[in-house]
Amino acid sequence: MRTATEAGLVLCRSCGTLSDVAEGRCTVCGATLRRPDRRGLQAVWAYWLAGILAYIPGNILPIMLTQSVSGVSESTILGGVVTLLHHGSYGIAAVIFIASIGVPVSKFMVIAWLALSIQKGWSVNNHQRHRAHQAIEFIGRWSMIDVFVVAALAALIQVGGLMSIAPGIGVNAFAMSVVLTMFSAMSLDPRLIWDRPSQESRITDEH
Amino acid sequence: MTNRRATIQALNERYVACQSCDALWPRPQLEPGQRARCPRCHSVVLANKTRGVERTTALMLASLVVYIVAIAFPFMSMERAGLSNEISVIDAVTILWSNGMGVLAITTGLLILLFPLTRVVMILVLHAVVHRRLGKPAHHAFLLRIGQMIEPWAMADIFMIGVIVSLVKVGSLARIEVGPAFWAMSALIVFMAMGTSATCRDTVWDMLRQRL
Repeated sequence: MRTATEAGLVLCRSCGTLSDVAEGRCTVCGATLRRPDRRGLQAVWAYWLAGILAYIPGNILPIMLTQSVSGVSESTILGGVVTLLHHGSYGIAAVIFIASIGVPVSKFMVIAWLALSIQKGWSVNNHQRHRAHQAIEFIGRWSMIDVFVVAALAALIQVGGLMSIAPGIGVNAFAMSVVLTMFSAMSLDPRLIWDRPSQESRITDEH
Repeated sequence: MTNRRATIQALNERYVACQSCDALWPRPQLEPGQRARCPRCHSVVLANKTRGVERTTALMLASLVVYIVAIAFPFMSMERAGLSNEISVIDAVTILWSNGMGVLAITTGLLILLFPLTRVVMILVLHAVVHRRLGKPAHHAFLLRIGQMIEPWAMADIFMIGVIVSLVKVGSLARIEVGPAFWAMSALIVFMAMGTSATCRDTVWDMLRQRL
């Protein structure tokens, strides 16, 4: 077995067309052709770091301000989960906790593990890394739930001085963090997971 | 130019490479309904979905119809102490905007209104014209490429979960009712998901490659 790259070809990640490596753009769909290249991991790390930097204020700062006759109360993501637990909405609390904390934190860890294992050439099961990559690409966007909760409440709950809900600054940082980590996961070229790094393994493969 | 295209066509008629692991394989001949997996990483290398073009066209057309209902009709209403407020999805975005919540208004507007519409229209137009010889293949390829690229960013499905969570959150504070647009939006996410799974990218890209 050999790869398209080894055969002097390049695969278009948009339409699946095989072209000669000399081509810069795909003749079929016009997308830029990129060979699997570990330098691409620089972009993964850049988005990853920016995503973490945005995730911190997203969790510390309030995401929602509730104004009622008794005054203004601020709530953070974790604070919202705690409130839901107090009201006995365990299922909804679990959804928010998983989407806003469980998914982003595990995504940061999985991306770092994938990128490091590729860079350092760790011997890890490729199928396992492949499944992990597919999983984070699939679930990453669901972290947006809490942003939409705030948007829906802020738009609907507007009854003058009686009660109104406004988004806190934290929700912008949180939304930014979700977008950046989605970019990070998308920049990770899955072909690098299966790349054979050393010359020795290439020789044994051909026998 | 012609020579270069002929080379690419010949190459792609004989070989297929795995999108996940780059392994190069002789191109399998698939019957409708069959798909081929990469022996190395087990990803689907090539699929030939049954009636992909027709089913996608129908489902994306249905999506467009319910999308129009979803933005034109009231989405939710709330009532508390005699004061009530009824909003559509477009109202939601404009209320956020006019109350100085610009970033959230733009984020929401793009992710739940513009991106889903763009995706539905692009995939619909492409599938409606691709098997007739209307328009240029390059334009079709552009539609499909953007339609594919936008897929993870069309977040109407996630928005609906967010709405359900917010209903639970304020259910004790105010009386909240859902309007026809809520059900239309629910139908939209079902039709869009079905349309996405009915789409056979390989078949369409093949058609476009052959028409180069």
